Amino acid sequence: MLASIPSASLLGATGIPVRVEVHIGKGLPGFRIVGQPDPTCRESRDRVRAAVMSAGREWPTKCVTVNLAPSGPRKIGAGLDLAIAIGVIIASEQLPLGTVEGLAFIGELGLDGSLRRVPGVAPMVAVLGDVDPVVPAASIAEALVASQRQVRVASTLGEVLGALAGLEPWPEATVDDDAVDEVPIPDLADVRGQPVARRALEIAAAGGHHLLMVGSPGSGKTMLAQRLPGLLPPLGRADSLAATMVHSAAGMPMPRGGLVVRPPFRAPHHTTSTIALVGGGSASLRPGEISLSHGGVLFLDELGEFTPAALDGLREPLEEGVIRVSRAHARAVLPARFQLVAATNPCPCGGGPPGSCECDDVARLRYTRRLSGPLLDRFDLRVAVQRPSVDDLLDAAGGEPSAVVAARVAVARDLALARAGRLNAELHGELLDLHARLSADALAVLRDEMERGRLTGRGYHRVRRVARTIADLRQGRAGIGSGRGDIELLDVEVALSLRTRIRSTTPGLVA
Amino acid sequence: MAILVDATGTLAALAGLDLMTVARLHALLDHHEPDEALAVAAGRAQPAPPVAAMMRPPVAAAWRASAARRDPATLTDVCRHAGITALTARDAAFPAPLRVDPQPPAVLFVRGDLDVLGARRAGIVGTRNATQSGRDTAFGLGRALAENGVTVVSGLAKGIDGAAHRGALAVAAGRPAAVVGNGPERAYPRVHAELWDAVCERGVLLSEWPPGTPPEPFRFPMRNRILAALSEVLVVVESRERGGSLITAQAALERSIDVLAVPGSPRNRAAAGTNHLLRDGAAPVTGVDDVLVALGLDTRRTAAAGFDPRPLPRGVEAAVLAACRDDPRTLDDVVSALALPMAEAAMALARLERTGWVRESGGWFEPVVSWSGR
Repeated sequence: MLASIPSASLLGATGIPVRVEVHIGKGLPGFRIVGQPDPTCRESRDRVRAAVMSAGREWPTKCVTVNLAPSGPRKIGAGLDLAIAIGVIIASEQLPLGTVEGLAFIGELGLDGSLRRVPGVAPMVAVLGDVDPVVPAASIAEALVASQRQVRVASTLGEVLGALAGLEPWPEATVDDDAVDEVPIPDLADVRGQPVARRALEIAAAGGHHLLMVGSPGSGKTMLAQRLPGLLPPLGRADSLAATMVHSAAGMPMPRGGLVVRPPFRAPHHTTSTIALVGGGSASLRPGEISLSHGGVLFLDELGEFTPAALDGLREPLEEGVIRVSRAHARAVLPARFQLVAATNPCPCGGGPPGSCECDDVARLRYTRRLSGPLLDRFDLRVAVQRPSVDDLLDAAGGEPSAVVAARVAVARDLALARAGRLNAELHGELLDLHARLSADALAVLRDEMERGRLTGRGYHRVRRVARTIADLRQGRAGIGSGRGDIELLDVEVALSLRTRIRSTTPGLVA
Repeated sequence: MAILVDATGTLAALAGLDLMTVARLHALLDHHEPDEALAVAAGRAQPAPPVAAMMRPPVAAAWRASAARRDPATLTDVCRHAGITALTARDAAFPAPLRVDPQPPAVLFVRGDLDVLGARRAGIVGTRNATQSGRDTAFGLGRALAENGVTVVSGLAKGIDGAAHRGALAVAAGRPAAVVGNGPERAYPRVHAELWDAVCERGVLLSEWPPGTPPEPFRFPMRNRILAALSEVLVVVESRERGGSLITAQAALERSIDVLAVPGSPRNRAAAGTNHLLRDGAAPVTGVDDVLVALGLDTRRTAAAGFDPRPLPRGVEAAVLAACRDDPRTLDDVVSALALPMAEAAMALARLERTGWVRESGGWFEPVVSWSGR
């Protein structure tokens, strides 16, 4: 007898519809799975057999063949367990064929028949089409986000079989308590002093500029970076869905509502492998940190300590907002539009006030050379972050809370989007000339800087982009927000003060 | 007796032998003429008994092997091309202060004019990782001393040394002397190549090491003893708790040469060593007069302060400059200390930087002192 059950597998952050065909026929008793199962999927044999027996059903003593169609792509993970079990039970005529009409099954089985959460329920449910998904109870939130149909849940194989036989109703689909309570984003009010770094953070949030912080250990670079998501507006519908798919595919804990609305914050350690950072691990091309930070912030502390290969891998996504992962057997396109925040020490010893550095030139050069090149060009904002003074640290009054800053950021972002349809960080070439006009005295200052050789051509573009954002923030605050006004001298001066030369420790000529 | 010009190549060959030390070179040259000494080292001639006692098998083998590689004729060409002459203590031109030194160099390789050392001499040394203010001070001292006809002796290193030399060269009549720790034909650090050439052209550059010697770390402390010996007073401008300039100061004290130190802020780590020297009894340098007095020179000859072409800062800029006066400040410090809006503080600092009152490095703003040294 034959059964064919709809289910799905995962590649990157998208699902692949899979039909689980089960044939039970004459021959030596045995159980085979064909159709490119990966090792985890092949181990389904043992899990499914035990789960079926634990659920009080019989395991057929015949030749059981399972085909996972289409047979081309690799089938990943344990998500097909439930569909295989249901297929075997139907093919062995322990349940009538009509009971599974219009249903699809996703979930991993335990030996005791329990139904477990698998990564990627959201993208898998999204590709099922005109069937109602049956998913593990723990995956209800993400399934609800992705499905247009009625979602059914169960927490054991027994419950599924009972409901299919019509003996008992489907368990109620309620959002379970396992979903993570969202950790509150740390508030900017905790940051004492450091007016410059706060300002840089606000500008980065308002313009979408990538931010590089250069400062000694203990100057609060990590603390500042963690507070950037709190300044960003909630994700739009499209970004939110994309982020949800990626988080689901990576098996991350999902927020209570199932939908990732808050801009994510990811801070991979510098020993993170290139694959883990960029994506493409395992046969399912698991999303990397850059995709997990889609729509949010990717924070790379100790930027120079990352391997050059890992940093090179960031260049394409920074350019295109997606990462194409290709392997011999599969390729996937994963979303990867993130705001890059990086931190580095000025030199190996950590630096500090002038005269406190103890590094020799070779060590310093080796350290800064790792940062140089095209990646460094991406950072519109390169801010020197200094340790706050003791007075500021002991001062009881905190700074402005995130909510106040976020309100200003939202106004400035709206100005930019209304003007050019994009954030200021994405203004290039003609768009920059069109939308970032400089007042006469501002232009004179930049001309002077360039003539002195203190500002390069690329630096000129960066300063204009940042100054545009500063002007937007200023005009937004003044409520004169047409966003079309010229960039004024003050805006340019602030933008100039927010860029530090990485190699500025080389002693300048005296007199 | 006068050394023939040809001896330069021979001495360069000798001084560059493997396992050659200053003591061994002294012994060789004390008992043999240069040509004979090279033959002894190469195993072609019989060593004098004291030299024979010193030439233990590994030394003899290393010398024999490396002597084959060091051709005096080639080295003569190299030296002539670079304008280098070699002197030993037997030579009349050998600097007098080194002649009486307890640890004199056996051979001295010279580029430039040794007469420079006939004037009064003051050494200026300090850290390589100097602050802007330290470099300004060294520059000002170098210039003021050169204006008073004093030869500035320093090491051509980065930071303080280079600034002192630049200061001395900023005066038309300035004729600095430099003692370096590698072969005299190749500039080290390379960013000082122009400075190096200027010193050779207008002053003199000395080295204990023959052409082709790389700048290895152990050579610099040895170089420092010659630098100290050539100074009549030694000024340490900036130095860390442990630094090469403190080795120079120690070498100066051993030779009863006065050590002076420029006081620095206790918060400036680059001044920890100099402040330590002051606590131990070094004389403070508050202006070039202190150095001139230490040299026993008449300080009344110094001219009036020069004209400062920088426009005087007013208003906010003056307040910002005042805030940066004592210690290096960040933009953060200025904003919090003066309770200014960031735009205004940034603008004031930018103007001050453009007019030359402050200089930025790594986010720190340091005042630029027009240090006339008075």
